[in-house]
Amino acid sequence: MTHALKLSQLSHAWGNAPPLFDIAQLVLLQGENLFIQGPSGCGKSTLLGMLAGVIEVSHGQLEVLGQDMAGLSSVGRDRLRGEHMGVIFQQFNLLPYLDVQANVLLPTRMFPSRALAAAKEWGDAQAQALHLIQTLGLPQSVWHQPVNQLSVGQQQRVAAVRALMGSPRLLIADEPTSALDEANQLEFLDLLLDTARRQAASVVMVSHNPQLAHRFDQVFAMPLRGHA
Amino acid sequence: MVIVSVSVSVLILLSVQQLREDAKRSFSNALSGVDLIVGPRGSATELMLYSVFQIGRPSRNMGYEGYTALAQLPQVQWAVPIQLGDSYLGHPVLGSTPALFTRFKSQGQGLQWAQGRAFADPLSTPEALSEVVLGAEVAKRFGHKLNDKLVLTHGQSSGLGTEHEDHPMTVVGILAPTGAPIDRSVIVSLQAFEAIHVGWGMGISPSAFKAAGGAQQPLDIKDLQPSSLSAVWVGLHNRAEVFSVRRKIESLERGQLMAVMPGVALDELWQIVKVVENTLLLVGMLVAISAMFSVAAVLLVAMAGRRKELAILRAMGAAPSALMGFVLLESLLVCVVGIVAGYVLCQAMLVAGQGVLRTEFGVLVQAGWPAAQAWWALAGLCGVALVASWVPAWRAYRLSLSDGLHPPSV
Repeated sequence: MTHALKLSQLSHAWGNAPPLFDIAQLVLLQGENLFIQGPSGCGKSTLLGMLAGVIEVSHGQLEVLGQDMAGLSSVGRDRLRGEHMGVIFQQFNLLPYLDVQANVLLPTRMFPSRALAAAKEWGDAQAQALHLIQTLGLPQSVWHQPVNQLSVGQQQRVAAVRALMGSPRLLIADEPTSALDEANQLEFLDLLLDTARRQAASVVMVSHNPQLAHRFDQVFAMPLRGHA
Repeated sequence: MVIVSVSVSVLILLSVQQLREDAKRSFSNALSGVDLIVGPRGSATELMLYSVFQIGRPSRNMGYEGYTALAQLPQVQWAVPIQLGDSYLGHPVLGSTPALFTRFKSQGQGLQWAQGRAFADPLSTPEALSEVVLGAEVAKRFGHKLNDKLVLTHGQSSGLGTEHEDHPMTVVGILAPTGAPIDRSVIVSLQAFEAIHVGWGMGISPSAFKAAGGAQQPLDIKDLQPSSLSAVWVGLHNRAEVFSVRRKIESLERGQLMAVMPGVALDELWQIVKVVENTLLLVGMLVAISAMFSVAAVLLVAMAGRRKELAILRAMGAAPSALMGFVLLESLLVCVVGIVAGYVLCQAMLVAGQGVLRTEFGVLVQAGWPAAQAWWALAGLCGVALVASWVPAWRAYRLSLSDGLHPPSV
């Protein structure tokens, strides 16, 4: 089994400030899910940025999908993210001036390998998109709707559809449920995890809400500052 | 909004440019179809100013014999005498022959009659002595209609006792607007011009002489041939002979005459107003450049709101340099669309305003492709647009690097 993530002695500090976090060891197998928990300000988002390849690794080792992140150029990291990862934010995931269709098909348009992966399994990218829309409980009628006509919950689902397009191997989600109300949170999460599992994708999710943790294969609590 | 602001400034730049070109052309073509203007030896510019634009007044006149002599030259197709000096409520009075109405051309277009007809030839119809034709602007300004009576003023002042009240004139024709200075003129026959001055001496009304017991003779039309003229417009059978005819005319009358080619002289005149012209162009340029940078500023401000968008694209694997190119392209597109819109708007306005510009300002505009200079201006604008576009693009680059996946939530 390959590793989706492999961290050792990873620490990060902004400028000359004391290290934000220092993680001795963390390993995630491909296909398994990881819940990263911790209060705000503990460096969750920075860690996520490093996993996604947006923030450079300065100290320690980080392997994502078998690639040594420290050894990749920024363009190489952008490429890895574009081709093999999906990212979901807390809110504002969609480009407001595009409709659902254009938003959802964006990753497959930006990276031919994503389009290829979608085509391999579904015939073409649109077929996969329509399938995902159905799987995530959206009506087919949203397809041509402008995204600002959708409810927040629907927008999050569309964001999930987009992140899953072209079957990425790693899904990175930053508080994807906090904009949703209590009842919708679990439902959305279950759908997301379920769909990701069927695509054999690992999900790494960050949240301050420990109630969601039990749905994941692995839970990692961010070391508190000064305790590392 | 941004596009509108760009297009407005492009509009300003282009209209200045276009009006400049067209004003120049209108100026140069104010009198077309006339090959030579003959006047007393002196300043060519002065001759042009008073004979074409009725600006200023002749400092001296040419002899009438000069007119008859040059009219007899074989190369001369026609010659129209011009007599100036009087005015009507501030408008110059032009003494000439009926040939003026068939020979005069402005912007290549002959004169059209709005109402009525030309004055008759006084040699065959004595009534013509009190007939007057009005330029379009004069008629409009004073609301004159056919058969109105009017009194001309001696000289250009309108002081007491200098009215030609003993010679009221009747309006027989009103010209259609041409945009040329003739719109502002009042036209009478040479003989009428002479007749109203009979008995005048030293600028004093003949009634003064009458009071002193002077007797007035009944007028004989043959005697009303003026002794001198302000200028003569000359048309040739063959334009190519213009230089040789000019030499010939200037050797007539013991070298007392001067002949100038209107096109050349008008271009020289235009050089004088070039400073104004260039100032206008400069202002237009500055407006356009400042508009470009305001575009950059607006896009820069908008960038704060677009940080989320940048982060989304970044999350999908777009490199910061790609985002920079994206914003660069967008800013450039906005500028270019603005430029095109401004151009189209400018042309549309020119077409719409053509009539008004011609009749009110005497400028004949021509919609069409911009002149070479305008192309340079447009190219310059595109250059500035490119430079200005780098500002928000660079900002996008910096922001996408620093924000990473986390735009500040708005």
